[in-house]
Amino acid sequence: MNKIRENKTMKKLKSVKDLKQLHKTLLAERKGIKKSVAICEGTGCYAYKSSAVADAFVEEIEKRGLDKEIVVRRTGCHGFCERGPMAKIFPEKIFYFQVKPEDVAEIVESTLLKNEFVEKLLFLDEKTGKRCAYQHEIPFYKLQNQVVFGNNFLISPKDIEDYIAVGGYSALAKALSGMTPVDVLQEIKKADLRGRGGGGFPAGAKWETTRNAPGEQKYVIVNADEGDPGAYMDRSVLEGNPHSVLEGLMLGAYAVGSNHGFVYVRQEYTTAIENLPIAIGQAKQLGLLGDNILGSGFSFDVTIHQGAGAFVSGESSALMSAIEGRVGEPRPKYIRTAVKGVWDKPSNLNNVETWANVPLIVNNGSDWFRSLGTEGSKGTKIFSLVGKVKYTGLVEVPMGLTLRQIVYDVGGGIRNNRKFKAVQTGGPSGGCIPEQFLDLPVDFDELSKVGSMMGSGGMIVMDEDTCMVDVASYFTKFLADESCGKCVPCREGLRQMKRILRSITEGKGREADLSTLEELGAFLKEASLCALGQTAANPVLSTLEYFRGEYEAHVLHKQCPARVCQSLIVFHIDPLKCSACGTCRKQCPTDAISGDKKLVHIIDQDKCIKCGTCFQVCPTRFSAVTKLPGGPAPEPVAYGTKVVQKSKGEK
Amino acid sequence: MKQITLKINGRDVTAKEGQTLLQAAKAAGIDIPTLCAHGDLEPAGVCRFCMVEIKKGARTRLVTSCVYPVENGLDVQTDTDKINKLRKMLVELLLPVAPSGPISAFAKQYGIEKSRFELEEGEEPSNCSLCGLCVRYCEQIGGENAVGFFGRGVNRKVALMPDKGEECVFCRQCYKICNSGRFVELSEVFPEQV
Amino acid sequence: MDKTKSRIVGVRVNKEQETMLSQLQQKSKLSKSELLLKGLETLAEYSNLGPEQEPMQTALQRLEKEAVRHMVSLKKIRRKEEAIKDFVREIRKVDEIIDKHGCDPSMLIQILLDVQKQNNWLSKSALVWISERLGVPMTRIMQIATFYTMFSLEPQGRQTVQVCTGTACHVRGSNELLTRTESVLNLKPGETDPDLKYTLKTVNCLGCCALGPVMTVGGAYHSNPSVAELKELVKEHE
Repeated sequence: MNKIRENKTMKKLKSVKDLKQLHKTLLAERKGIKKSVAICEGTGCYAYKSSAVADAFVEEIEKRGLDKEIVVRRTGCHGFCERGPMAKIFPEKIFYFQVKPEDVAEIVESTLLKNEFVEKLLFLDEKTGKRCAYQHEIPFYKLQNQVVFGNNFLISPKDIEDYIAVGGYSALAKALSGMTPVDVLQEIKKADLRGRGGGGFPAGAKWETTRNAPGEQKYVIVNADEGDPGAYMDRSVLEGNPHSVLEGLMLGAYAVGSNHGFVYVRQEYTTAIENLPIAIGQAKQLGLLGDNILGSGFSFDVTIHQGAGAFVSGESSALMSAIEGRVGEPRPKYIRTAVKGVWDKPSNLNNVETWANVPLIVNNGSDWFRSLGTEGSKGTKIFSLVGKVKYTGLVEVPMGLTLRQIVYDVGGGIRNNRKFKAVQTGGPSGGCIPEQFLDLPVDFDELSKVGSMMGSGGMIVMDEDTCMVDVASYFTKFLADESCGKCVPCREGLRQMKRILRSITEGKGREADLSTLEELGAFLKEASLCALGQTAANPVLSTLEYFRGEYEAHVLHKQCPARVCQSLIVFHIDPLKCSACGTCRKQCPTDAISGDKKLVHIIDQDKCIKCGTCFQVCPTRFSAVTKLPGGPAPEPVAYGTKVVQKSKGEK
Repeated sequence: MKQITLKINGRDVTAKEGQTLLQAAKAAGIDIPTLCAHGDLEPAGVCRFCMVEIKKGARTRLVTSCVYPVENGLDVQTDTDKINKLRKMLVELLLPVAPSGPISAFAKQYGIEKSRFELEEGEEPSNCSLCGLCVRYCEQIGGENAVGFFGRGVNRKVALMPDKGEECVFCRQCYKICNSGRFVELSEVFPEQV
Repeated sequence: MDKTKSRIVGVRVNKEQETMLSQLQQKSKLSKSELLLKGLETLAEYSNLGPEQEPMQTALQRLEKEAVRHMVSLKKIRRKEEAIKDFVREIRKVDEIIDKHGCDPSMLIQILLDVQKQNNWLSKSALVWISERLGVPMTRIMQIATFYTMFSLEPQGRQTVQVCTGTACHVRGSNELLTRTESVLNLKPGETDPDLKYTLKTVNCLGCCALGPVMTVGGAYHSNPSVAELKELVKEHE
């Protein structure tokens, strides 16, 4: 049971009855299992070497001859990426974090056999001082509602039988045996499922346009190009539960009248690229893909296309060009791709998370879906909560939770006791939201009112040590590098914005630059060919609106209040605090610090390259090195000044 | 061919179904500036000079007239203040890159003496606005595919496939169609072999 | 006007050579490209061809020149015969990749990805071969090869070192990590060392933001390694 059975042979299912029988058989087979351990092998935990932990579990359980009663599953992402490698124990739903291979024997002995906790591996709630064992006790998970993500714990993505055992493909079976294509379409329309890729367009309406468009050949497409840096929700769904996406895709194909689908996945997602063909192969073997699926007459096949390293190729018309084998650049289009898409055929494109919601809606009904979320935004959304927040990871919450709830109650607030400054949402198309808007509910419409957008779900938390001008410069550089360069506004506009922002961070900005940036931003919105250009100015415009003071400090006073911009900041050793320990002098890479025993150390500003090493290594008890927001540096004391002698007992 | 009636700049215009706004305007004697449009070639919609304001019902928006198909009842404005502001910005942005040819003509027309913008230190103007007329000609009419776009973003440029050189000597249509009046000197695409 | 008829795999041939090739094709039932490859292999064995094979000679000599140039760009010193054999072997593998994708022009990007992965670069010969077999113009292939960051028209190092510069990693200090990596490898992003051991790249989000700032060496992920740790990793993968 614990050996990965990706290469096992399975009998083809010829009818819905066969599928139901297989489901029954699998449940019967798994009845004897007393406990199971799910170890996350999603890319984040994999990078923390969780495979070694999984190996240790398999070995330990085999050693004790327990492999008939205890199942070890290598699963996809568990969400709490900050604390990997993590293991979840069923049926109790106990979580162990930062597990090392050496801990495994103890976990097996204490928890799996004796039902006792290994305290040191449990989550420690800093607020209460208590250890939390169960998922519902852990603050990170408490507010979450993992309707899409939840199955990640129960499934090995390389084993289709796991998916079927939890009810996988039952939605497809239900549709093929008891619903017409229009029935399925109506259910999605009623549910008010909006696209989770950033656009928020009603999926049902898009499906309807595709269905009604003239032409026999239609296509359905999964957009798995997830290019927003800092967002990795789609990756985790595709890695951990590829079948949920495939099943959703097939339901969509059935509804619109398509027999062929494409999955466009970015090249950087190696595990997703590994798991997807395995999933497709297994589905084919079982007859859940291919001709005459489950004897229904519905046939469907899918082709995988990998991206090759371009953010703009995630734009729908660009993606469709790439599928045609042409370069993935957007096209000016005034006819919807749902009517004329790939090879001018009606093509319905949706995001990974959108597709993953479809089987749930078909099985549980649109009323169930509508019971979650807000009036305008139904259902849940997976967010990647990253940056300066305490608990980094993927969270799935109902639409309508406020930013404050997500950042503080789920995310644990700002790490290292720093102060919140802004949360950046919506990726490079979005903006930075300051503190005064923390009580805004997060859904498709609310965040747009303050100059940002929910986007695909990226939430990058920033604190007082983040320079908002630097953030704007970063995003603008990213977009300038990723621009396809076709149209003048985006190519030349971003070229100039990048140049102006860089010069501001280098202390060469002028006040007129700020209004130039605003003018360029408005211009890009109106004149660009595609959404990349049209939204490219959002990071700059939103930071100019809410953090203008920081910009003015940069251009008027040549200062970086957050102390980030290397050309502006100055490192200075406070002569009253320096105790001549010599640490900074020895570690300075350019020998810019002069000093000796009992002599105040001095930084030669001409040699200083602003690497920050001295600031990092000065012992906390002295904290003599200060980072100043701008020059000029204070007059240094004369070389040879003696350090302040501290009497015994004085701090 | 079905007839379409629409308004351009307040005038009633009849057009044929399948025409673009640009074609309909031209036929009606209304001049819309463009860089990348050419009667014999498929439109690209990349220069953005031909943008017009269209009103359909209550909604007004900007579209590129070289691509947008004519529709019954459309109310089109080709020369509003907003559009002229956009065109001026296009000129200002292109002046550092392609100061000669049509851009300098536009600059005179819109009264732009100097651009606020400049290239990075050490960068030279390429004199190519990347309108793509040469590429599209060679692909759609010439059938040779000897000229192409390469690179991305500000590194995007037009270059000639070196192996095609022998055939191109007799053609050189790209020189004639080039927007800046003189064809940009092309260099080989492949990196120098040791 | 089908101009491609006067070229065989990027090599200009005249009518005589074209006829000769068709005749050989009919006799042997091999494809044009297979014939050329076999001819080239034969050329490596024997130093001269008989008079009846003369029309093929020019075509083959061009390919032979290509083969040697190819080896040199890979910094491999080979005798002429070995160069040609290695070259043919490489082109055969490209052939296999094209066939694996059903010789379908819409799979062009996928084919290029596989070739890049296999050879660590896209050589001119590989691209010409793909252009001919798929019937796709070289301009389109070159546009794709220069548009995407995954492709390189120059030989790359055996190991790729990637530093993530995504937003989450940026706010956690990816700039400093990049500076450290640059100094250890003595390379700037996009560069390859002279011995073709490493290529340094930046990438816009690997999707493991909790480890930020993160980098990979040979596919293995590492969170914020110090200079000392970087030096170890580099040695490990030599």
